[in-house]
Amino acid sequence: MTAHNLTPTQLFISFSKIGISGFGGVLPWARRTLVEQDKILTSEEFSAILGICQIVPGPNIVNLAVCIGSRFAGARGAAAAVLGLTLGPVAVVLLLAMLYQHYSYLETIKGLLRGISAVGVGLIASTGFKMLRDELRFPLMLVVVAITICAVTYFHLGLGWVVLAILPLSLYLARKKALVL
Amino acid sequence: MSMLLSVFLKLSAFSLLAFGGVNALLPELLNLAVYQEHWIDLQTFSDYFAIAQAAPGPNFMTVTLLGWHIYGVVGALLATLAIAWPSSILIFFLQRLILGIKNPITRKSIQYAAASLAIGFVLSSAWQIATQINHSAAAYALTLATIGFTLFTRWHPLYLIAIGGVLGVLGFV
Repeated sequence: MTAHNLTPTQLFISFSKIGISGFGGVLPWARRTLVEQDKILTSEEFSAILGICQIVPGPNIVNLAVCIGSRFAGARGAAAAVLGLTLGPVAVVLLLAMLYQHYSYLETIKGLLRGISAVGVGLIASTGFKMLRDELRFPLMLVVVAITICAVTYFHLGLGWVVLAILPLSLYLARKKALVL
Repeated sequence: MSMLLSVFLKLSAFSLLAFGGVNALLPELLNLAVYQEHWIDLQTFSDYFAIAQAAPGPNFMTVTLLGWHIYGVVGALLATLAIAWPSSILIFFLQRLILGIKNPITRKSIQYAAASLAIGFVLSSAWQIATQINHSAAAYALTLATIGFTLFTRWHPLYLIAIGGVLGVLGFV
């Protein structure tokens, strides 16, 4: 761990920068700000923390703020980091919502948003495909991915049930993968 | 007021199911908000999704906008709080536990298992959202092109969003 001691205020400022600059995904900005600019964490520390945040459900980037904030300044640090991360973007998005309320009848705006949402879906899918690449190192794990997709899209099971039903198999195969790799 | 409470409780429950982040939850959110509770119509939901994608910040802003639609600024803040607090408290206590697992095999197993679920959820989500908000072949083509560009080039997502917006304004989508 680096020899920094950060106050909640400093955490608030760092995470404000991350939140407001995070166009098209916040995670790359989080790495850039925390590791390269502010030098709060080393690259390895960042990856280790991110790994944990992706295990636990919830908005990943908020989880990251909680982990890093609490590591440097306890519960107050966590709260400061999360508030820094969210306050600016929430204000911006509310401003956009008010504009939308006034101009959503315009054909131009309708078209604009149709185009953006089609791209937005593609961006979500690519996140999934990028994560899928890592699974190719141990293809048996793809079984879990395939069953999950079937359960959700074909059988329309609620996410909670899917998690409960698939977790045992998933943990079993994950253990095999961990032993092999 | 009771509606606000209902929004808060339902979104709080969603927070603990969001393996793979909030994007993995979007179809369930859409289903709840559009088809079950009728808080919002499909077109407005899609528009909010687009605004959230184009705006800076974490990708759960669709939830913030949904809250705004239901109950103004108070609704927006409550919805944001609801989607974040349960998972935040969970990770606050779990992180030391997970970092404390000394056996690397156990630690990796948990990580790999969670990742496989997350991938399944994210891909399912993309598929289900696409079938709801894409209304033309051109829209699907744009979605596929986006996937291609992000997987095989290093273009910043913002360029793709801008291109999508321009194509939409010109009436191609």
